[in-house]
Amino acid sequence: MEFDGTVSIEGVTMDEVWLALSDPVMIKQALPGCQFLVEVEEGDVDFDALAASAPDEDPPTLPEASPEDIAERAFVEGGRYAALMEISVGSVSPSFETVVTIEEREFPHMYAGGEGSASNSSFEMSSWMDLVETEDGVDVEWGAEADVFGRVAQMGQRVINPVANRVVGRFFDSVESQISDVSTDDSSGLRDRVSGLF
Amino acid sequence: MERDITLTVNGTEHELSVEPRTLLIHALRDEMGYTGPNVGCESSTCGTCTVHVDGKAVKACTELAVRAEGSEITTIEALNEDGELHPLQESFQEEHGLQCGYCTPGMVMTAAEFLEEEPDPDREEIREALEGNLCRCTGYQNIVNAVETGAEKMRTETAADGGTVEGGD
Amino acid sequence: MATEERRSGPDGVETVDADDVDAADILGSAIERREDPSLLTGDAEYTDDIQLPDSAHAAILRSQYAHARIEGIDTSEAEAMDDVVDVFTAEDIDVPGNLPTAWDLDTLRTVDHPVLAEDRIRYQGDALAVVVAEERYQAHDAVDRIDVDYDRLEAVTDPETALDDDAPVVHEEEGTNTAFDWEIGDADETDAAFAEADHAVGIDVTNQLLIPNAMEPRAAIADYDDSDDELTLHMTTQNPHVHRLLLSGVIDHPEHKLRVRAPDVGGGFGSKIHHYADEALVALAAKRAERPVKWQATRTETYLTDAQGRGHETHAELAVDDDGTIRGLRVDTAANMGAYLSTFAPAVPTYLYGTLLSGQYDIPAIHCEVSGVFTNVPPVDAYRGAGRPEASFVVERIVKEAADAIGMDPTELRRHNFPDPDEFPHATPVAMEYDSGDYDKTLDRALDLVDYDEFRERQERAREEGRYIGVGLSCYIEACGLAPSELVGELGAGAGLWESGLVRFTPSGTVKAAVGTSGHGQGHDTTYAQVVANELGVDYDDVDVDEGDTDALPQGMGTYGSRSAAVGGSALVQSARKVVDKARKIAAHQLEADPIDVEFEDGEFYVAGAPDRSMGVQDVALEAYLAHDIPDDIEPGLEATTFFDPDNFVFPFGTHVAVVEVDPDTGEIEFEDYVAVDDVGNQINPKIVEGQIHGGVAQGVGQALYEGAEYDENGQLVTGSMQDYTVPKAEHIPDMETDSTTTPSPVNPLGVKGVGEAGTIAAPQAVVNAVVDALEPFGVEDIDMPLTNERVWRAAHGNGGDS
Repeated sequence: MEFDGTVSIEGVTMDEVWLALSDPVMIKQALPGCQFLVEVEEGDVDFDALAASAPDEDPPTLPEASPEDIAERAFVEGGRYAALMEISVGSVSPSFETVVTIEEREFPHMYAGGEGSASNSSFEMSSWMDLVETEDGVDVEWGAEADVFGRVAQMGQRVINPVANRVVGRFFDSVESQISDVSTDDSSGLRDRVSGLF
Repeated sequence: MERDITLTVNGTEHELSVEPRTLLIHALRDEMGYTGPNVGCESSTCGTCTVHVDGKAVKACTELAVRAEGSEITTIEALNEDGELHPLQESFQEEHGLQCGYCTPGMVMTAAEFLEEEPDPDREEIREALEGNLCRCTGYQNIVNAVETGAEKMRTETAADGGTVEGGD
Repeated sequence: MATEERRSGPDGVETVDADDVDAADILGSAIERREDPSLLTGDAEYTDDIQLPDSAHAAILRSQYAHARIEGIDTSEAEAMDDVVDVFTAEDIDVPGNLPTAWDLDTLRTVDHPVLAEDRIRYQGDALAVVVAEERYQAHDAVDRIDVDYDRLEAVTDPETALDDDAPVVHEEEGTNTAFDWEIGDADETDAAFAEADHAVGIDVTNQLLIPNAMEPRAAIADYDDSDDELTLHMTTQNPHVHRLLLSGVIDHPEHKLRVRAPDVGGGFGSKIHHYADEALVALAAKRAERPVKWQATRTETYLTDAQGRGHETHAELAVDDDGTIRGLRVDTAANMGAYLSTFAPAVPTYLYGTLLSGQYDIPAIHCEVSGVFTNVPPVDAYRGAGRPEASFVVERIVKEAADAIGMDPTELRRHNFPDPDEFPHATPVAMEYDSGDYDKTLDRALDLVDYDEFRERQERAREEGRYIGVGLSCYIEACGLAPSELVGELGAGAGLWESGLVRFTPSGTVKAAVGTSGHGQGHDTTYAQVVANELGVDYDDVDVDEGDTDALPQGMGTYGSRSAAVGGSALVQSARKVVDKARKIAAHQLEADPIDVEFEDGEFYVAGAPDRSMGVQDVALEAYLAHDIPDDIEPGLEATTFFDPDNFVFPFGTHVAVVEVDPDTGEIEFEDYVAVDDVGNQINPKIVEGQIHGGVAQGVGQALYEGAEYDENGQLVTGSMQDYTVPKAEHIPDMETDSTTTPSPVNPLGVKGVGEAGTIAAPQAVVNAVVDALEPFGVEDIDMPLTNERVWRAAHGNGGDS
């Protein structure tokens, strides 16, 4: 199934949005049900070990974090990331062990592919994002193509579409509010430092 | 993890231990032996599991047993009294309103509640009232006939009693 | 030829209490069903209602994918869970474990069908592991803890794509998805017919995959006694003896130590004929655990595993002359077989389909080619009608198209090609010999009931007002009462299709009848008792009927193919007559008369010419068991068993007419009328016949308007619950007007034809023809089933019927 959309964020710059959406910590916080999101090496991922070693508290994100720290931990092209995502679908709440690879990352475009599996369900997906400057801010244009398998798939699009919309909606709401914090909190010259990074 | 609850089914109190997630239908069937209501879809669509909870038709496959504590539950087993079939049960037999019978306990319980509310429905109203009960055998026509006939019987009984039909609840 | 007409509007045939019917009138009376009090009060016993002491519960892990290699299965976490009794996978079982196909074809590629997938998944319902736990929920919890390492493969779900060169191959070792190529009829003669005919009309039709949807999901309880190796299986089956035979091979358990019993069964429609992996797994689980094990499929599980029906892609051409004479029919079908060959699957799109392509018509030349195709959907096998609805759909759709093409009224074109009633038995070019028929009669009656002549004028006026009404006809034929063992053996059946029936008097004069069929909603206890009471002249209440238990009677073939009355009922008739013959000898002895002089009527033996010298058959029964004074050459006791094997199928027929109004702006379809005039031969219980027609039509209307199993491009079932697959509700099905004519079948002593599948065979094309007729002003010629609002709207707006 395919999903796409455009989210308009007012009063922000391309650089700010790009930096925020490059921050694994912020993405983790914005994704509903995401237990952790960390970079991993090639090969099998031991999710139990990752869960055990995941920090109890996330490091600060924008605007508290320094842009340089975020740039340091930002997604990199070719990077491989593991996440544990618990998503409620109908009457079940599978935990998806998810591995995502950033296939392309060149300002202002990102493309990622990944797959997740839970006890009786799994998915494979690819997604892309482009930033487009507008008169009063930035449009995030995004799309995703997903194949869903197993118990979740059997519930059909009737159930999956609202879930996908809920996840995406909450994600961008959260992103938007965090980025808005950046644009309103200009005490430390954050905006300049962000734009200076690129 | 299990919880002790008391359920009143067909006038009898049952004490049992269930998990918080235990569905009323499984408590009725597996724990207490009321196998009249059946499991057909686990999604509140087919209505084979329909029982009355405090006089209202409820799909026991989407109701938790723990939530039914303190309520009066009536299953198809209690619809007939003193060995006499309920007027609706009689009319289902007369009209061949059933074939395999699997949907029948739910169908009859839904119809019984409906006729309490609407003692003299037309065919279209009956079809609407049964929208939550699926039958794969009869094509519904003789079920609609049975509910019409049952309604008539119940009205006659009510008139004869000079009161309301309790439907065996 | 006896003809009797019964008409009924929504109220239908009126029933009578059996107590109010004279014994002599019991056969043919619309009595109430004796099974109903138990079904209506919750006393019925379905499989999952059975609670054996010390039972454990099984749950079965199915595949996430429709097509995959299995890299590994880790059951350790499940095994470690509290209250888990046993977990096993393919590598833990040491029985043959291969589900057989009981029908062979010359070109058939038989493939292994393991009860537990070993290294490859071919559809989502493939079983990977079995968990046995103390409680139902725990078994399901544990299934969720089994970790399977899959290597997902591309999947294919529709038969035409599966035949492409670059399609994923379902059975790699076969190198092709073609399960078989089959043909019937004469290609050269058909070519010649087309060359000579004035017109050729072609259509492409899809007969979509359907899920049977018996209200009771499949279930089984196995109970094993280690001390004597007795294994009892209570299960949802339409044919316990067939299950016993097949299961004994699958799990390598001696057949005589195996009992299969069908308690009350909540509908089947074909889906409970087949041998699935599940009953074998439950049996193995009970043997391993040495305690009873129960399993019931969830609804989603039935959707993933129950054999589905239909699944045809067909191109058909009809050669027809200007005057409406049909010269020839050519049919090419790709039939979806699913991932494996289910029990009787190869017969369905071949001998149950191609042989019915002559419909009600005298067609001189027919040629039909069928490719059976493996895909990554559940095995496709018999679903109510099985092959015959697909055939009737092709014939009745193309006949309507032909009538439109040559500008002839569709009723006239049909009538022009009917064989005359005196041309029966009527041989077709596709190997059938129709037993008896009078097709004008059902057509006339149906047209009369819908006031067809007046309808066309009304249609014209409605169109002027911007309302679109249409009438659709279906003049169907079916072959049922399956049937002659020698013939089906020649055609590839791995079984005989006789039926056995036992009639046994008790010493006190009551009667036990036992039949090898296995009813699951059809009211067999009632109808068989009517048959036996009538033959023996005893009170209906004195006859008890046993069915559905391999321990209750010698052998049996089960209930499917509308065969129970025609074959099982006839076995009972023959047994009852054998009993009467023996009783006559005993009565003659007692009455001191020659048996030749002893008449039998209404349960009484009397000496011809001296009616006061008489003896009731129930008194004879006592004498037979006392055996104090019976003829020397007669054994004590009074019972008989018959294996009835008819000479031919029976061929019910009829005309169904749908009248609909279509709103081209919304795509909504409303029924104005639905008329069914069926000729199913003699009727044992007309109210039961009516119910079978109603239910059959409802499933046919369901196919026409609502139902369809849908898969995404990965072979994932997306109509995986009752919220996603539309089983028609009460408000979806119109009130029907049913009527019948009676043309008895000459091939069985009851003169019955069979009624279980008629409605399902007849209805879909009546509805589609009606909708197409209504939308004729929009140039609509075809819409694919199901005719959803969207498809109808698209068709009316020139976007084609395909979505």
